[in-house]
This record gives sequence, structure tokens and C-alpha cells, in this order.
Amino acid sequence: MLVKDYMTRHPVMVDPDMSIVEAQNIMSETQVRHLPVTGEGKRLVGLITRQRMRIPPTELASLNVWEITRFLSNLCVRDVMVKRKNVITTTPDATLEEAAKIMIDNKIGSLPVLEDDIVIGIITEIDMMTQLTDLLGGNEPGVRVTIRMPNRKGELAKATGAISDQGWGIYASGGVKTPKDPDHWDCVIKVRGVSQEELVNVLKTIEGQEIIDVR
Amino acid sequence: MTASKKDTLKNAVNQPSWLTKMWERISIVFESKVALVGLIIVLFWVTVAIFAPLLTPYTPTEQDYTAQNQGPSRAHPLGTDSLGRDIWSRLIYGARVVLVMLPISESFWLPLGTAIWGVLLGLIVGSTLGLMGGYLGGWIDEVVMRILDAMMAFPVILLYMIIIAAVGASATNVVLAIAIVGIPGIARLVRSLTLDIRTRDYIRAAETRGENPWYIMFVEILPNARGPIIIDAMLRVGYAIFAMGTLGFLGLGMPPPSPDWGSMVAKGRQFILSGSPWAALWPSLAIASLVVGLNLFADGLREESLRYQ
Amino acid sequence: MSSEQVKHAPILKVKNAAISYETRYGDVEAVRDVSFDVNRASTFGVVGESGCGKSTVAFGIVDFLGANGKIVGGSIKFQGRELVGRSESELRKLRGDQISMVYQDPMQALNPSLTLGTQLAEVLTIHRDISRDEAWQRSIGMLQRVYMPDAANVMDRYPHQISGGQQQRVVIAMALLNNPALLIMDEPTTALDVTVEAVVLDLIEDLKRDFDTAIVYITHDLGVVARVCNEVGVMYAGEMVEVGSVEKIFGDPLHPYTQGLMRCVPKLGSTKESSTLYPIKGRVPAPKDRPRAACIFAPRCDYAAERCRQEKPELFDYRPGHQSRCFYSDDIDPSTWEPPAGLVSELALPGNGKQTPDQPILNIENLKTYYDQESSSLLSLIGMGEKLHVKAVDDISLSIPEGKTLGVVGESGCGKSTLAKTIVGLETPRGGEAEFLGFDLSTPVSERDVNLIKELQMVFQNPDSTMNPSYTVGHQIGRPLRHLGKVKKGEIREEVHRLLNAVRLDGSYYKRLPRQLSGGEKQRVGIARAFASQPELVLCDEPVSALDVSVQAAVLNLLLDIQREHNTTMMFIAHDLSVVRFFSDYVAVMYLGHLVEVGPAENIYSPPYQPYTEALLSAVPIPDPTAEQKHIRLHGTVPSALNPPSGCPFHTRCPRRELLPDNGAICEKEEPPWQYNTEEHRIYCHIPLEKLRKFDPVVTSR
Repeated sequence: MLVKDYMTRHPVMVDPDMSIVEAQNIMSETQVRHLPVTGEGKRLVGLITRQRMRIPPTELASLNVWEITRFLSNLCVRDVMVKRKNVITTTPDATLEEAAKIMIDNKIGSLPVLEDDIVIGIITEIDMMTQLTDLLGGNEPGVRVTIRMPNRKGELAKATGAISDQGWGIYASGGVKTPKDPDHWDCVIKVRGVSQEELVNVLKTIEGQEIIDVR
Repeated sequence: MTASKKDTLKNAVNQPSWLTKMWERISIVFESKVALVGLIIVLFWVTVAIFAPLLTPYTPTEQDYTAQNQGPSRAHPLGTDSLGRDIWSRLIYGARVVLVMLPISESFWLPLGTAIWGVLLGLIVGSTLGLMGGYLGGWIDEVVMRILDAMMAFPVILLYMIIIAAVGASATNVVLAIAIVGIPGIARLVRSLTLDIRTRDYIRAAETRGENPWYIMFVEILPNARGPIIIDAMLRVGYAIFAMGTLGFLGLGMPPPSPDWGSMVAKGRQFILSGSPWAALWPSLAIASLVVGLNLFADGLREESLRYQ
Repeated sequence: MSSEQVKHAPILKVKNAAISYETRYGDVEAVRDVSFDVNRASTFGVVGESGCGKSTVAFGIVDFLGANGKIVGGSIKFQGRELVGRSESELRKLRGDQISMVYQDPMQALNPSLTLGTQLAEVLTIHRDISRDEAWQRSIGMLQRVYMPDAANVMDRYPHQISGGQQQRVVIAMALLNNPALLIMDEPTTALDVTVEAVVLDLIEDLKRDFDTAIVYITHDLGVVARVCNEVGVMYAGEMVEVGSVEKIFGDPLHPYTQGLMRCVPKLGSTKESSTLYPIKGRVPAPKDRPRAACIFAPRCDYAAERCRQEKPELFDYRPGHQSRCFYSDDIDPSTWEPPAGLVSELALPGNGKQTPDQPILNIENLKTYYDQESSSLLSLIGMGEKLHVKAVDDISLSIPEGKTLGVVGESGCGKSTLAKTIVGLETPRGGEAEFLGFDLSTPVSERDVNLIKELQMVFQNPDSTMNPSYTVGHQIGRPLRHLGKVKKGEIREEVHRLLNAVRLDGSYYKRLPRQLSGGEKQRVGIARAFASQPELVLCDEPVSALDVSVQAAVLNLLLDIQREHNTTMMFIAHDLSVVRFFSDYVAVMYLGHLVEVGPAENIYSPPYQPYTEALLSAVPIPDPTAEQKHIRLHGTVPSALNPPSGCPFHTRCPRRELLPDNGAICEKEEPPWQYNTEEHRIYCHIPLEKLRKFDPVVTSR
């Protein structure tokens, strides 16, 4: 689960000297919200996002309709982009969690992925969400069961053991600490090829664990 | 039979006549401005050489002691030399020897000039040697090429002087000298073309038919090498004219008093500083313009033919 | 990645592109109205015959059209950005950073005077702040990534010191060092042997997956398309006539041209008895003859109606994601197609009834042809050096029954052509015997009897050099008649017309010069010339490999017709195993001057296989994306014929050695025995026949 496996390679990139209007066209054409700005040899020089393209209202107020058009057509990417030193980036060998943490901490939606200062990809919140759904098997058919189990060694093994004893297969699972209850974990398991009753009948026999959701 | 006859008739309609084909060939000259300029210069000299007796009232050897070392005038458009001979007449009669006639003896001459005969002779011998070296290969190639290499080791002008000094100065000997000096270069060119062409499948097809090597060399290979050979020959005519000028200048050209451009320059040279440069200037210009014209023509043709290959 | 690919916009979007070339007769539109999309991690194949504008499209994307080419209309969007009308410097930046090209000839992209390492490392150091050492290390990594054997040492070599397949891998590695979003490949494997091609195609497939690169792949080979492409665009005369996924294009072709192409190529396993190739009638119109307001394919189409000649069809979505430029794609059912009269001659019927007992007409015993090569030592300068031999043909024994065809297959440099040249007398054998119609074949052609020469003729590979450019067609066909004295002087002209007729050319060709003919026509003239003396045996050295598929079908049919008419015996040399299977009764497989398997065609293409035959068969690109093919790849390169391996020549690369005790120690020491599977089918291998018989067939179609 490294960034390099989940990032979008070959992101759409723009030149610093490109006009804002053209950059906007590219954004709508490709439906991309974050454009790394690169110079010669795909070297990162900045980042431009949709918010960045908005002109501050204070500045707008001072202009009339004709001037806005002219103002816009003269503006180029270099003028509005986040400058290189302020762009937060990651590397292809970072883990997905590390990248996510950076994004949360800085409240940003995307991270250009750099190798030697050269853009090789971009990872965005959408990529993260996609991984979350895939992690929990959101796109696959099957029975999804949430089990609350005590925070002890071997508890997860009991549940998975019971499932594999029946010859069923797990193809997605994930666990988080139960909110407001440090002594328990909530575990989501997705199982293929069973009905809900069969799965519940097997799992409810396990001592100390509680099925809180089946769907 | 009727079917094939009908086909033949149809061909006659479909196929362009030889006239249009010729025109297509010639029109390539007009594609290139360079070639056209060259052609005009060359044609100018050919025309004046052919019609020389009609273009001047004087003969080239007629001396007028009342008018020596004069500049251009109405009577003598380019002036006269130290013996009072009309330079214009000498120039255009000199061009005759170079371009349109080869005097063998007093009364007998062949059409085409000395330079052209020299190159043609060189072409015949050089091509044969080149074809043999390139196609037959083996020891023939080794021997022929080593001998030609040895010849090429001599500076060209030295080679000319050796040959002329050995056999004496006359028009036929100049032809011989031009031919001998040209052979190594022509042979090398033809050999390299042959080495390329002999790998083509149609040569192998001829070999599998059991064709005789001479047939393959002259009928299958040589026609396909003609383009570069013709262009090379034109350049060589230019070099030959240049060489004839040099030989004449050194006193190894046509025996006096025949109008030889090189010896005209040599004779006129001493009067340049005494205020009458005409006798040396005009023949120099004549040599230069003809050589440049031939070079331009050949270069232009080469470029055009490469472009539409 | 799978689920989110959908959300990405295509890397490249080409819409109604039109490209023209300026010539001295005015502008010529080479490509018009071409539209397609290329997605990330996907290969878009552009197929079509030569002269259809495939390469023009590829070069047009990055505006590499040369001084006289220009894009005259439409839009080409790369990553949302319009490329048409960009300045040269912007395009150059894109070409350097995000778009790479791989050409057919790798030497075009490599500098012959620099080491490969220098050239590779330079790609990295030019833009990045990394040291030369690190760039060097990374280049080695990339070379390993493209499966270059001995990558570290290759870095110090010059381009000419590695083989063609390796050069192409270096070029691909160089293209990938930039991590391009789009890779344009123009016939990258056309110049390579099948086994090498198979490895390069695998490589392209892997790289597409690992680097998420979008690839535009240009080729004329339907088999290659079926193997590497996800989407395919079929081009005809400068237009895209059909676009769709590879399964749909091959499984359910909508456009009559695509259907015609499919009928032109022999499937691996089809034979001349069981199937017929149907060439497409007519030929591709020259750019200036292309109609503006009519279907461009109408003159060659069997379904053309009045509407097709008056109105130009647009690319229409007949099925989701599958477009065709035809008005009637819904009404055309290729399975009910009937060949129009005259397309295939009536002679092309299975079996000519003349079942003569198999009397061999040509017998070769232990034939050896060596080329001398001086060693590079000082001694050889004075003629005392050790003589080295290139063993081009080594110890070959075979025979061809009268009226049958023997196909000879093998990679380039295996001695196929030398074998043919030896038989025809252009090379003199060093040993062994060869006998044909009672004549001894060990003499060179110059010493042969004219009656022998008459009976033994050859058809050559390259249509552009098979005819002497200085003489007319009539003269060149007439020459063997005149020279070999087969007909009387006065009848030569008539005979030439008869021969022209036999190769389906009308009398007007008599006076034409070779440059006025197309490749297929030149090849027909070459065939007419070879058959002029009515030979008993004709050697065909790759007669169709330089031709387009539709022309290839016509030429193959022609050869079959003439053979059936005259009961001619043929030796058919080719590297395309499908064509050989189709055309031949017997097949001989050669490797490094040796024969490794010989037998009736159907036996060669089914187990037991000689391991080399098996590898060759599994490398052949099959024009059927649903066919299952065994995955056997040969590693390393063909050893030098100057110093061939001891024992079995194939032991250095054989993937089946482990079947023998000691991992095939015997293969290195002893020459393998000839094992007879049937009386006619023999295999040159140490592995016992029982084991070889247990192999699965290489190709199974679903």
C-alpha cells in the first residue's frame, strides 16, 4: 500500500506561462481539479487548483466588466499558482497512511508525487476514498458484517478462523478502535458466497464478540 | 494474336510519345535555377564555338602589326594581343578545340572537342575497369585497384606534365592525358556503384539465368549507374578544360600558333603590368566561366535528380 | 487502478484530423477525418496497408511531419491541451517530457558514435539534478526492466555491437526513462524475427501495465494487433474506417474493408486444401484520386450501392464503442459473403486430382555451404591465418516430391536463403550431394548446362529490386525466353503477353517501366519471369513478405494457380509460419544452418514438436485475440555461425532441456539423432519421441 501503487501516473500538467483561461479549459476538459505546474523536464514549479483561479472579491469590485475580461486574459498560471516552496509533496515510496496524514494535517486535497523534483504522479483525496472503499470491499458483492470484539490478542483470529473453517473466503477487512470505547475494536469483514443467516449463525457462537451490523 | 495486337494499339494511345518523355527529362533542368544558369553559360560557348567563322571577320592567326596590345574597340571587340591578333577570334576558335572539334591532323578532325573526347575515353576505360573490379571482384579487383591507387598518388598536374612531356604536345595527346588522368576516379566511382547494384535481386535473377558476366556488367549494371556517371562526367569535362588551360599556360598545350586559351594567358601575362591586361584577362575569364558553368549545371542536375528519386 | 480508470479523461483525443503534404503538384491530403481516443494504460492500434496514412497520423500527433507536411484541420488534444497550432518550442517540450516515439529502425534513434550508457544517462541528467553515477545506475535498472541480458555491460557498448532486438529494447528503455504519458510506436517489431518480436511485444504489454502509459501502436500486422492492442482503428486510404475494441474488430468486423482484410490472412493451421485466401480487388487509390463526396472504399467494395458513390459516410456508432464508416454495416453479414466471380480463379480448387506417387524431384544429402572468413589476426594478412568458416548450411538432407511445395522456415541468419542459393547455383557447396532431375547441383551456375538452368528458377523477395529499373516489363520477361531459347525468335512477344496474362496483368504492362508498377505488380512480373522457361522447380525466397496482406493473398493465389497448372515443384522460404502452413505440403525448420525438423505440414504444426519449432509457433502473432497460445520465449540470441555450439545447435537456448537427465548434459556433447515420428516426419532432438508427443498443442482456438 504505497503511494506509487495508488497514485495517478502521468497527471495532467500545465506550463507556468499558460494563460488562466486555457488552464481552466484544460481543467474542465479533463475533469481534473489539481494541476501541477511544471517547467522544463516536468520539474515541479507550482500547483494550481480550482480555488486558486477565483479572483478575490476585493479585487473584483474595483474592476468593471470589460476590465475583468482583460484582467483574466492577461493573467497566467504563474501569477496565481501556489509557489513551489509552499507546495506540499510526497514521494512514491511513502505509505498511503503517511500521505493521508499529510493531507489531513494541511487540509489539502492533493499531493504531487515527486522523484528528484520531477513530477511522476499525483495522489488526491479521491484516490484515498477509492482505496477506502476498495479496502472495505465496497465495490464487490458479498455479505458485510461488523463485529465488535475486545481489544485482546487473538480475537480477530477467532472470527477469521471460524469463517475459514466453513470454507468461506474473506476478501476485504478492516478494523478501527470503537469510537468512545478504547477496550473494543470494530472489525468489518466482507465474505463471499454465503447468506446473511449462515454467516451470523457461525459468528454469534464466538465468545465475547458481538455482531453489530450485517448487510 | 489479335488480342495482343489490340493491346499494342492500346499501348500506343496510352503511352506518352518519346517526345513528351524527352521533354520530361529535359524539364528537370528548368526545375533548378542553378542548373539553368550553368546550361546557359555552356550553351553560349558551344554556340559561339560552332559558329565561330560566322562571328568574326578575322582568322585566329591573322596578325595586324598596326594594332598591337589594344583594348576593346569597334574593330576588335575584345582587343588585340601583342602580335595584333584579334582576341575575340582567338577565344572562339579556341573554344572550338575545347568543345566541338578534335584536330587529328592538318586536314582531318573529329566532331566533339578535345576535353569531351578525353572524358569519353576515360569513361570507357574507367567504367570497364570499375565494373570488372566491382562485379568480378577477387584478384582482378585487387590488381586493378592497386594500380589505380598508385596513379592517384600522383598530383594531377604532375601526371599531366609527365604524360605530355613523354608523348609530346598535340591535341590527340592531350585527349590521351585527360583520359589517363580521369580513369582512376571514374573507375572508383563505377566500382562503388557496381558494388551496390550487384546486390540487387535482378542481378541474382540474371545470374540464375546463367547470363555471361559481361552481359551482366554492361547490360544489367551499367545502365542503372548512368545517373551519377553522367553527372560525374560533366564535372570532369570542367576539370579537363581547366587542365588544358594549365597545360597551355605551361607551354604544353596545342602547338602555337593555334588559339589555345592557356597559352593565350601565358603570352598575355607579361603585358598585364604594362597597361594592356586584355590579352590575359579574356581567356582567363573564358576558362573560368566555362568551368563554373559546367559545375553549376552538374550540381543543379544532381540536386534535382536526388530530390525526386 | 481498474475501477477508477473510467474517471480519467483520455490521454489523447484526436478529432477529425486532416494532414496534407505539399508537393509540386499542389497539396495532397494524406489523412483526413481521423478521430480516435487513447486511454491511459491502454494500447490503441492503428492498422492498415501501406500508403494508408498510418505513419502520417503518428507523426502528426507531435507534428513531426517534415518541412512539407502540415495539419490542415481538426483537433489533437493531449491531456486536454490542444496541440494543433502550437509553437515549435512548446511541442518540443512536450515531445521531450511527455510523448516519446519508437521507430521501426532502432538505429534512427541511437547515435552510433556514443556508448549506449552515455545516451541513456543523458536522458536523465539533462533535466534532473542527479549525478552521472546515479543516472548510470538508473539506466541500468531500466535496461533490466526491459529484460536486457547483462545490462551493466551493455552500457559500455556501442549500438552496432548489440543485436537488432536488443537495440529496439534500448530505444524503448530510453523512451521510458522520461516516463512519458504517451508512447507512439511506429512498426517497432517489423524488422525483428518472430521470436524476438514475441519478447518485445510481451515487454510492451508489461510496460503498459506498470507505467500506465498510453500507447499508439502502428502496424500492418493483424496478428500483432490482436496480441498487444486494446482498441483498434482500421485505416484505409487516409481515413479511419472502423474503430472498436480488439475483440469486436476481430470477432464482429463491421466495415467491408476490415472483413476483406480478415479474409486475406491465412489463419495458423489453415491449408490451401481447406481454405482459400480472398484478396481485395483493386488497389488503394493515390491521395489525389480519392473522392471527396463518396465512400472511399466503394470501388473495391462488394456491397457498394448507388448511395456509396454519391455520399460520404461518417463514422457511425453501430454498437457501443464500435464505429464503422459505412452506410450498411448493419445489413452486411460477412458469413454470407460470396467471392465475386473472377476474384479467385476456378483452378483454385482443392486437389488437382493428379495424385502421382511421391517421386522426389530434388534430393539433397548432407549438403554443406560455408563462407570463408579471415580471422582478424596479423597472420591472415600474409595469408597464413587460420581460416574460419561461417557454416551457413551445415549437413542438410532433404528431398521434395514432384509437384509439391516444401516450406522452409527459420529466423533470419539460419541459412534458409543460402540453401536456396546453393541449389540454384549462386553458391558452391563445400560438401554433400545434391541431385535434381539427374543433374548434379554442386557446380556453380556458370558451369551448368542450359537445360538445367531452364528447369531451376527463382522468385525473389524485394519487389523493388527484383526488376531492373532500366528496362520495360516486356523486355525483362522476354530476356529469359531469348537467352534460354525456349521459344522461337518471332514468337517471343506473343509468349510474353501470354505470361503477362498468366500473372493477371494485361497487355498494357508490356511497355511499362518498373517504377510505374506497384509492389504487387512488380512481384507478379518477377513470377512471370521465373516461370518463363517453364521450370520444374521454382525457389521462392520470401516472395510475399514485403507485400501488404491483400496483395500477399493475390500473389499466393497466383503462385498456387501456376503451380497447379504446370505441376511445378516449389521450395517456399518464409518467416511467416501461417503463410508457410497455408502454402506448403512439407515444411522444414532450420536453426543455425541445421535442419531440426522436417515433415508434412500438418505434422509440424502439431505435437510432437522439436523444441525450437514449438518456440517458433508460440511466438507467431495470431490474428485472433481469442486464441490461446502457449507462452514459450527464447532467451539470448542466436549464437554465431562462425563458432556454433557443440552437440545440438539449439542447446544454448532450448527451453525443454530439463526434460533430459542432468539438465540435458548430452545436448552439449552429442549431436542429436534423427527420430522418425512417421516415415516422412523426423525430429532432430535428444528428447525421446514419447516425451515430445506429450506436449500440448501450441495454439488452441476457442
